Amino acid sequence: MKTVFVNVEKCIGCRHCEIACAKEHSNNKDLLSILNDDPQPQPGISVGLGIDFMKFPNRCRHCDPAPCQQICPTGAIYRDEESGSVIVKETSCISCGMCAMVCPFSAITFHRTPAVNTLISYKCDDCIERRKDGREPACAEACKTGALIFGNINEIISSKKQDIVMEITKDIKGIEPSEVPENIRIFQSIKEKLAQLGPMPSSN
Amino acid sequence: MDNTRYDSDKIKKIVKERTTDESAKSALEITLKKGIETVWDRLEKQQPQCGFGELGECCNRCTMGPCRIDPFEDGPERGVCGADADLIVARNFLDDLAVGAAAHSDHGREVVETLYETAAGKAQGYNITDTEKLNTIAAELGIETNKRDKNKIAKDVALALLEEFGTIKNSIQFVERAPEQTKKIWKTAGIYPRSVDREIVEAMHRIHMGVGADYVNILLHGLRTSLSDGWGGSMMATEASDILFGTPEIKETQANMGVLKEDMVNVILHGHNPILSEMVVVAAEDPEMKKLAEKTGAKGINLAGMCCTGNELLMRKGIPVAGNMLNQELILATGAVEVMIIDYQCIFPSIAQTAACFHSKVVSTSEKSKVPGAVHLEFHPETAFETAKQIIKMAIENFPYRNPDRVKIPEKPMKMMAGFSVEAIVKALGGTPKPLVDAIAAGKIRGAVGIVGCNNPKIKHDYGHIQLAKELIKKDILVVETGCAAIASGKEGLLLPKAAELAGDGLKEVCKSLGIPPVLHMGSCVDCSRILVLGAALGKALGVGIDQLPMAGAAPEWYSQKAVSIGSYFVASGVFTVLGIPPKIFGSSNVINLVTQGLENVVGATFAVEPDPVAAANLISDHIEKKRKNLGI
Repeated sequence: MKTVFVNVEKCIGCRHCEIACAKEHSNNKDLLSILNDDPQPQPGISVGLGIDFMKFPNRCRHCDPAPCQQICPTGAIYRDEESGSVIVKETSCISCGMCAMVCPFSAITFHRTPAVNTLISYKCDDCIERRKDGREPACAEACKTGALIFGNINEIISSKKQDIVMEITKDIKGIEPSEVPENIRIFQSIKEKLAQLGPMPSSN
Repeated sequence: MDNTRYDSDKIKKIVKERTTDESAKSALEITLKKGIETVWDRLEKQQPQCGFGELGECCNRCTMGPCRIDPFEDGPERGVCGADADLIVARNFLDDLAVGAAAHSDHGREVVETLYETAAGKAQGYNITDTEKLNTIAAELGIETNKRDKNKIAKDVALALLEEFGTIKNSIQFVERAPEQTKKIWKTAGIYPRSVDREIVEAMHRIHMGVGADYVNILLHGLRTSLSDGWGGSMMATEASDILFGTPEIKETQANMGVLKEDMVNVILHGHNPILSEMVVVAAEDPEMKKLAEKTGAKGINLAGMCCTGNELLMRKGIPVAGNMLNQELILATGAVEVMIIDYQCIFPSIAQTAACFHSKVVSTSEKSKVPGAVHLEFHPETAFETAKQIIKMAIENFPYRNPDRVKIPEKPMKMMAGFSVEAIVKALGGTPKPLVDAIAAGKIRGAVGIVGCNNPKIKHDYGHIQLAKELIKKDILVVETGCAAIASGKEGLLLPKAAELAGDGLKEVCKSLGIPPVLHMGSCVDCSRILVLGAALGKALGVGIDQLPMAGAAPEWYSQKAVSIGSYFVASGVFTVLGIPPKIFGSSNVINLVTQGLENVVGATFAVEPDPVAAANLISDHIEKKRKNLGI
């Protein structure tokens, strides 16, 4: 099973993924001509602010079974056999909103598309067109910090598993974990303090 | 119509999170209720903000880019040109610093130009007010004063100062004010500033691709550029303003949004440069204007300052100050502002949109600072008085358009004491800095700290300034302040002699004997140069460099590039400086190590980053005690 895996600790909130996604889903797939598109292309991924200035890139997880697919009364939401991705057939959507209500990630919103001029169910399509060409999803390609990685989930997990073994054994030996560089850890701790002194969401 | 986004409980909660300024709370509530956008809403809408930018690892200078470095060290390690994180971070820092130095220095140049025009008899309504200071500066510049007309001296002084911006003599005269030991450090480090414009231009050159790849070399030039601001551009702004408008003397005035008057024409003077606003003060006193105001049903004309224009006016004229940077939209939300006059710096580009929610008009006055939606009445020294009168007239004519139902002015302005120029401090001490030096030597006062800098909506409005000042005075550390920090303390009541009750026993005793507050208002942000002069005077009195003094700096809520320059000239001058907001350098361990440790061996001082005011006060106190020990006091 291939997916876009989120390393949340590496998301720095640059939102390159959002731009890359909107660009991929625009008419000419070109950043400069996006402004001429009507309707404006919408990103299927959104980076949100959590506590202590932490960030999380949220997108459709292409669940299986997918609650949105199960509840859709018109069969507008279906699974692409080849990629396993959950896709919206725009012309079958009746904008009832049920999919958005049951989505565990609030990853479905309603927008106009070039094909349909009413507000219809809109979400990440897992870049199935790109994947047919053997390319990774636009968001993962745009991510320069390794917060979004596209690949076989078991392979990604097994490499993460090894990282965790290293971290834990280092910790036992009293060696500073190395996954996050020291300068970034200091920065994060300063931001955490700052969050507690201001109006932005904090852990305190 | 009310904005239904928040209920009243939620609004109360948001207001509490955003500001500690009691006088600002009702206006902030109005903005939330009515959906009037403010800086805090925009901060929220900008979330999440880009980490590459926050870490200083984004380079957007050329068209091979934009480039960014992966902070987690797995992705790209160099930009297209080959710059690594150290270089990109250092170039960005130098860029910010140069912008700040340019802002202060360009302001300084305008004041000196006005001094020249005044001396030449071309500036309408201006006079040489402080001849004593004129003569002092003339002597420093080697200009003959004996039996000469003050305008002739002033003309020579202005020309000599204007020359400092591009001088080819390879040094700036005011730099000579520093103690010998401090100057020696600068010479050894190769950071002796050569001229104001040259250092800024060279900074711009150095951030171009392919002009060096050594982050240390780039940052050292940053220190040199900052010195050309602190001991150059900013110091010239301060001194030329003193000559023109008078060196500040201790006086009482008022602070907070309650300084607005319900039955008067309210005019807010916002920005940084005192040149036009001084003339507005004169115009508001004009009998013709007063009569006109009464004719429209107002009891008179009420001027109130905002940000550093406010500081300049309260220091010299005792004009009340309505608030600091984060008050600028809220003051409009009182519905009681007829005109907000702006010059430049720290004026929200959207301010005219905020004003458009009310009858308020924004009047822009600087050729270099035009704002869509504002009325532009350009200021020139030769027509200054006429322009000032025209603006006052516009405010009076706008008074009948005020909607009384929308007016909500907070009740009580806070009393405050201001005007603590170095000259005024020395005068209060009996004509010599010796009593202060003695109090420091005896340990009644452990040391002095300059709290300076801006507001930043990321931290609760004024909280960082006020808490740090309170913590420090508790530890018997004298606090001197400028800019938004000083206004924050004014609103909180820390600029009153009775605030000495909050100080430790030693500082309390000194304050009470002199009748001064434990926190001294030294002026606007260019007046951070006064803190340098104070440091130089203390260093000379003790026979040491500034780096050996029990002295520190802090910018708890800074946002601006100007603060980067101020912090850097503090550190370059030997003053340990604690920043409450992280600078955009955390993408490079090497740059962090240099500015927080390595500089100790170069200029005898470093930066530290600590948002928590209690922890920051402890860092400062430890530093001061270490310096005292080294001095054997």
